[in-house]
Amino acid sequence: MIAFQMNSLIKVLANKLFALAVLVGVGIWLLVLPAFTGGLGANPLEKLLHQSGEIAIWTLGAVLSLSPLRVLFPRSQVVAALNRHRRAVGVSACVYGLLHFGFHVLYEGGLDGLARSLSKPFIWFGVAGLSILVALALTSNNWSIRKLGGKSWKLLHRLAYVAAALLLYHQSIAGKGHWYIARWLLLALFTLQVARLMKMLLGRSAYNRRATSSFRAVATPP
Amino acid sequence: MPRQILTSVWVLESSVRFCGSNRQISVDKQKPRTGCGHYRWDLPDSAITPEAYYLRRREFLRVFGLGLAASALLPPRARAEPSALNDSLNPAFNLDGVKRTPEDLVTTYNNFYEWALAKDQPKELANRGWKTRPWSVEIGGLCANPRKLDIEELIRLVGPLERRNYRHRCVEAWSMVIPWDGFSFAKLVDLAQPRPEAKYVKFTSFFDPANCPAHRGKDFPWPYTEGLTLQEAMNELAFIAVGLYGKPLRNQNGAPLRLVVPWKYGFKSAKSLAKVEFVAEQPKTLWNELAPNEYGFYANVNPNVDHPRWSQKTERVIGAGFFSGKQPTFMFNGYEKQVAQLYAGMDLRKNF
Repeated sequence: MIAFQMNSLIKVLANKLFALAVLVGVGIWLLVLPAFTGGLGANPLEKLLHQSGEIAIWTLGAVLSLSPLRVLFPRSQVVAALNRHRRAVGVSACVYGLLHFGFHVLYEGGLDGLARSLSKPFIWFGVAGLSILVALALTSNNWSIRKLGGKSWKLLHRLAYVAAALLLYHQSIAGKGHWYIARWLLLALFTLQVARLMKMLLGRSAYNRRATSSFRAVATPP
Repeated sequence: MPRQILTSVWVLESSVRFCGSNRQISVDKQKPRTGCGHYRWDLPDSAITPEAYYLRRREFLRVFGLGLAASALLPPRARAEPSALNDSLNPAFNLDGVKRTPEDLVTTYNNFYEWALAKDQPKELANRGWKTRPWSVEIGGLCANPRKLDIEELIRLVGPLERRNYRHRCVEAWSMVIPWDGFSFAKLVDLAQPRPEAKYVKFTSFFDPANCPAHRGKDFPWPYTEGLTLQEAMNELAFIAVGLYGKPLRNQNGAPLRLVVPWKYGFKSAKSLAKVEFVAEQPKTLWNELAPNEYGFYANVNPNVDHPRWSQKTERVIGAGFFSGKQPTFMFNGYEKQVAQLYAGMDLRKNF
């Protein structure tokens, strides 16, 4: 019975439509519904600006935790199911980032305000991180992978870590106290990466030991 | 404003009240909003801000002086709504032609870090058992009459309350127009009689780790502190508010008494004051200590000096609407005439 439930859960998790529903649903839940229930409060544009930024950074955090999870739990079917949605999650982070930028332009009241805001390093970090996300989203298709070749495509997409660093900094200086939120995401991502690297290094040395011992076995026959 | 217009406004407001139309916006009920960023409060001024509370002083004292016993005598409706203050508008601070920010926005959008970092949370978190009456305020430091006063006693001592419509400009580049009820800070200075060596006034907010979870944390150097030069504090604009829209201050707005210095960024107007001290040296203030490059001691509203992260040239008017854009920010928040002389010869870029 439990096995049956587990199987159907994994089937749901692996479903593309399910992933799409969650990724779009977050936006509807936090950006669209509040507009109809009064949840946006006294300064609705500011609320939309902050909410969309939060969704973007947490979605980026989600996609960045998928690879380490796969290394750490290679046999977990749940992790494998979630890893099917890497592209959708990554592109969503970019879409929410672009929405965030759009709200920023609206909040600044047009191009004059936007130009003024572009003189601030705080905004540079956001724009730089978002530019990377846009480049990665535009190359998130099979055609680009073929065209670039697997190796260089992968190298290019490692820029996601640079984007995450830039955007986490952008988030944590956005206001006093924002660091207290951003630090949890940073801690989670950092822990996952360290655990992944540890596992890979340990795994490699174990592999090396095995390799060496078998070599010896060949070199010095009994 | 000419006398006739003033009178007609008074008559209009009174008629709204006496026609029996109780269209006052309740703070407790969140107004449902229609979609696309349009608010139900997009109504004519007369409909959304009936605030003629010309009640007699005795009624005010009955409610707060006798506490529960008195409130039990009142009809249930009066108990549910905050009681009215016996203030009256000071025509010198009417801000002719300026639209006031609706009351439900002033009481639901609050930077009150003791309760939450998000501005829509203090309205709830500051009202979960935090008692702002009875409340005592300490007036001390370098003065002839140091004393500890109960808030009601202080209100009695300073004489009748007055109403002032003040612009409020947050350092985060948003603004409101708020009808405060209270008294000029100069009256408190008169009570205290500072000694000649007093050059600054230090304001300290409440510190209550038992009821305020943030006070138990180490993220900020609580209690909240702010400061003014004595000259600034004596300026006619410096105000102690005990009410808002004719009602006693709500907890989230800094009950039971707060500083209001409208030519400075909002964070200078310390909330829920526990202590006012006259001191010789420039006092340490919370935001200045945390980020001296972002929040100066003077913190005068100045469109020519940017915050490191955003421009101060413009401000978003709370309640103006989704696509309203921003309006230009004025030097000293439009109070140049009253306060510019305080800073004559001072480099306001350096002393921001």
